[in-house]
Amino acid sequence: MGYSTFDHILLVIFSMIAAFIPRVIPLHIFATRKIPNWFNEWMKYVPVSLFTALVVKDIFINTKNYTFVGLDNVAKILAAILVMAIAYKTRSMGLSVVFGLIAVALLAFVVPI
Amino acid sequence: MKKEEPRWLEVLRVALPLCLSYVPIGLACGILLNKAGFNAILTLLVSLMVFSGGAQFLIASMLVTNAPIHTIVLMLFFLELRYALLGSSLSQYLRGTSKRFLYVFALHMNDENYAVNYLKFATDKEWRPGDALMVEHYTLLFWSVANLIGSIIGSFIHINLEIVDFALTAMFLYMIVMQLKNRLTILISFVSAGIAIVAMCLLKSTMGLIVATLIASLIGFALEDYLVKHGRERGYLLGRIKRGKKRPVSVPKSDAEGE
Repeated sequence: MGYSTFDHILLVIFSMIAAFIPRVIPLHIFATRKIPNWFNEWMKYVPVSLFTALVVKDIFINTKNYTFVGLDNVAKILAAILVMAIAYKTRSMGLSVVFGLIAVALLAFVVPI
Repeated sequence: MKKEEPRWLEVLRVALPLCLSYVPIGLACGILLNKAGFNAILTLLVSLMVFSGGAQFLIASMLVTNAPIHTIVLMLFFLELRYALLGSSLSQYLRGTSKRFLYVFALHMNDENYAVNYLKFATDKEWRPGDALMVEHYTLLFWSVANLIGSIIGSFIHINLEIVDFALTAMFLYMIVMQLKNRLTILISFVSAGIAIVAMCLLKSTMGLIVATLIASLIGFALEDYLVKHGRERGYLLGRIKRGKKRPVSVPKSDAEGE
């Protein structure tokens, strides 16, 4: 891989800044002022859009050359459906992740991951 | 003989279920970061500094795909942008605290301890900002230690990376499910999926994720605005999805947005 330890340290520092700014600014500003409406309205759709895009990348995209793989990753697709069902029923992140991992590990024996 | 419970123990009792659910996820995250080339110290550092499961998994999986640093940081920024919403909804409870307190509080806030604290603030009059910060620190402790142990385990054993990597996918799937409040969010999720595939295949990079996030969220924003202005708040797309008998846990009434 093409990263040095310095790159990693740099990444950690920048990550911290990238993580800190969105958390602190609203706490800072909105402790005294009101939140603008358009911001709230827009923010409502950022997480769902981003999470979906990330899931799609994990399941349907080959990240070596960025091609669409269709339904090739059967194990991940089946496990993903299971995870959504567990998440909907239990609303527990721990259970969703643990059963998702178990499912994908078991399915990998019989179908392509 | 029952004595008054010390405050730290009481708060620990509130935080413990969350702390324990961090253990398996933290282990998986530590293993992945180790496989992505992070040593134990860096793993501990990133857990303490970033303290976000999604962000750390993302760092690991993007390092594995050799993404450039600036793309990773930009993705992280978008990923963490949701905290702006969480932060603003908690801010009303944190009035009158010092600047320093706010900084520490913001640094150690994440999705799950936010949910716990929000619920406590909304339902428990005795819940103080100091207690909320203590919840954050308990969760931070469990998360960091689990990451550290995961990182050490990862350097000893060989694990199929593709399987552990699914922990991230599962976590995002969980978060998507938690976000689905009306049919419009489901629609936007599909819109984002479509754009993500096209954009990533065209751009040949993870920039496609950012493009998809921006376009899909703006479409959602515009569509909702349009529907509300045309008096369709109670229509098919914006009507709340009815859940079964089970009530959503931990998300009180109209403040479900940020979670």
